[in-house]
Amino acid sequence: MHIVVCIKQVPDTSDVKINPETNTLIREGVVSIINPFDENAVEAALVLKEKLGAKVTVMTMGPPQAESALRETIALGVDDVVLLSDRAFAGSDTWATSYALGKGIAHLEERPDLILFGKQAIDGDTAQVGPGVAEFLNLPIITYVRKVEVEGQLAKVERVFEDGYERMEAELPLVLTVLKEMNVPRMASLRGRMKAKKAEIKKWTAAEIGADPENTGLAGSPTKVVKIFSPPKKVGGIKIEGTAALDAARTVVGKLKEQKVI
Amino acid sequence: MFIQGLTDEYVDYLKDESRLIGYAEGICFPESEAQVQEVVRGAWQKDMPLTFQGARTGITAGAVPKGGWILNLSRMNRIRALRLDEAVGAFRLTVEPGILLCDLQRRLEETAFDTADWDEESLKALARFRESGPHFFSPDPTETTASLGGMAACNASGARSFRYQSMRAHVRGLRVVTQRGEVLSMRRGELVADHGEFSMHSEQGTVFTGRLPGGVPPKVSKCAAGYFLDPSMDLTDLFIGAEGTLGVITEITVGLLPLPKTIWGVMIFLPEESAAWRFIQEVRALQGKGGADLLAAVEYFDGSALNLLRGIHGGGMDDLPVLKERWNSAVYVEYHGEEEPLEQALEELCGCMERYGLQDEDAWIADHPRERERMRLFRHAVPETVNGLIAERKKMHPGLTKLGTDMAVPDERLEEMMRMYREDLNRSGLESVIFGHIGNNHVHVNIIPRDPGEYEAGKRLYLNWAARVVDWGGTVSAEHGIGKLKAPFLKLMVGESELREWMALKRVFDPKELFNPGNLFGV
Repeated sequence: MHIVVCIKQVPDTSDVKINPETNTLIREGVVSIINPFDENAVEAALVLKEKLGAKVTVMTMGPPQAESALRETIALGVDDVVLLSDRAFAGSDTWATSYALGKGIAHLEERPDLILFGKQAIDGDTAQVGPGVAEFLNLPIITYVRKVEVEGQLAKVERVFEDGYERMEAELPLVLTVLKEMNVPRMASLRGRMKAKKAEIKKWTAAEIGADPENTGLAGSPTKVVKIFSPPKKVGGIKIEGTAALDAARTVVGKLKEQKVI
Repeated sequence: MFIQGLTDEYVDYLKDESRLIGYAEGICFPESEAQVQEVVRGAWQKDMPLTFQGARTGITAGAVPKGGWILNLSRMNRIRALRLDEAVGAFRLTVEPGILLCDLQRRLEETAFDTADWDEESLKALARFRESGPHFFSPDPTETTASLGGMAACNASGARSFRYQSMRAHVRGLRVVTQRGEVLSMRRGELVADHGEFSMHSEQGTVFTGRLPGGVPPKVSKCAAGYFLDPSMDLTDLFIGAEGTLGVITEITVGLLPLPKTIWGVMIFLPEESAAWRFIQEVRALQGKGGADLLAAVEYFDGSALNLLRGIHGGGMDDLPVLKERWNSAVYVEYHGEEEPLEQALEELCGCMERYGLQDEDAWIADHPRERERMRLFRHAVPETVNGLIAERKKMHPGLTKLGTDMAVPDERLEEMMRMYREDLNRSGLESVIFGHIGNNHVHVNIIPRDPGEYEAGKRLYLNWAARVVDWGGTVSAEHGIGKLKAPFLKLMVGESELREWMALKRVFDPKELFNPGNLFGV
């Protein structure tokens, strides 16, 4: 069994500060991390590997520094990593990214039985790349998965909705996007960390995976960002001051009734 | 005078984290050394006992009053000065005793200080400090809302004291207000005892002289059991760990250290406790080999501690990775230093793991801040969970408290001590966890009694252990201090006749026995 996990390196948003004057992110000194949902996907793959003896390959598309994210996954125990890195990929939107990852996966020597993604990336929040890759590879996909078991060629999956979940079965090969509640990612092992430092990272260019230049990078991206702006600041409610407690409480109740809250 | 009656709004000040509740007639919150002097002078005139308080985070009731006035130092929390000691190239920070450790740590991290009252030299030192890369203050008791004054008074330490030693090693100077409100000012290296005789001048001109008690100090690397005594000691050390029995600390100068470039934490899981005890000694022996001196902490968690953590998944510990069933103890080691020698230290650690037949997955590593934070939560979850359990059981049996030991023994007694704890606990059937700073042969046994009968049984066990530890040349307190709760253990360790000598030493500074009654000497 071969499991491929696609990950993305993102800025650690728990660490991001906004410049109050320009309303833009202060990127200086912000560390890069593996997208947290992707960590759950890697963990899911490793758990299946322990149970079923699978091979796990992690793939990412990104600039050369994305290599550090791949090394982190080696320390966790994955078998192989691939970095899709090429100037031609720069400026890709979710469509072009999905196309490139699809090409990359198709270029792997061993066909994957299962392809895992985090449900979305914490920087873009689109949740489109997993389904996009499934489409390019012409594979079935189940999104928002919190549980997966594999028996032979059959995957048994729990897919979460706002008000419940559904149990589904699907035949491999299959694409899944996973939720945080799926598992708790393990910590890197000491020996894994040492191995990771010395590991050779496979780097593939657009040409190597046979990606059509028309479909990659900015040129291949149908999405055009027209404008980026911060949402307007919330106006801070009403202050009821200078009255006795009982009167103040009455005013609050009145306002709540006005708004049809109560 | 600043004394206020002890009305309802102040009842919280009658207790500390030990949960023991005391009594007092009045309380004051001085904001300067001059005000402290005035209170101490007033107490002298009225023969009024005084209990000194910092942040009341201690767990031996050192800050719980036994009558008289409470002198609370929480409003003396300024950072007064920064100096660069050119001779050794080290920065020294002078603080008031009420400053909290977490506040100090944050200021150092951000290099942001309130410099309104700072002198020219401090401002110059600050400019140099900001160019000199990140620094830190190494004593790291788990409770970061502790005050620096309290930490000095009980010679606090923490996990990293394995490498950086306890509070004592980092105190460069002290100001202490003693009898009649007189001030003793000390700087390390300036005043030492001579063949056990000491003589100190107060700023008011009074001479305090006396003879230091003899006796053999415990042969341990960490000790917080009363007076530090040595015939040629630096007299600054007399007031560190004295728990306010000789006077009240009004100013502390501490040394800062450059933050190590790389910090790695490794958690190693072992299938058997006895293997873990041997493993620890091997890891410790690796220290210093190949010129490397990188090991900063060596911590231990027994099988019950791991079971406790297995039981709390979901309770705010969602970030805790799954603990495998075959793991029955854990050892945490932390390395500080430069990347390359660190890599070598990890190779040696891997070699050690191989000899114990451990697998790859049996050791976790945290090499960046996010992972280190996960590991910190893991380590702190153990005592927190124990406290939660006790709080739960207290609802049924209000008299119950946690029975927590804090003893350390010499290196060669480590295994014997661990075996004693394990065998006695197994035989007793008491619920317990063992964790702590095993690198210093210092673990905390927490007995978690289910009912008053078990509480009494636990107390008896504790007393037996204390006697054995003392026989082995150990200490009854390695870091928590003696306070009021552990005074009987101190008596066991020091002996009655020597304790009388200690009291004579106290009387040189506090002839009316007004300062922190009950601390060290019992009630």
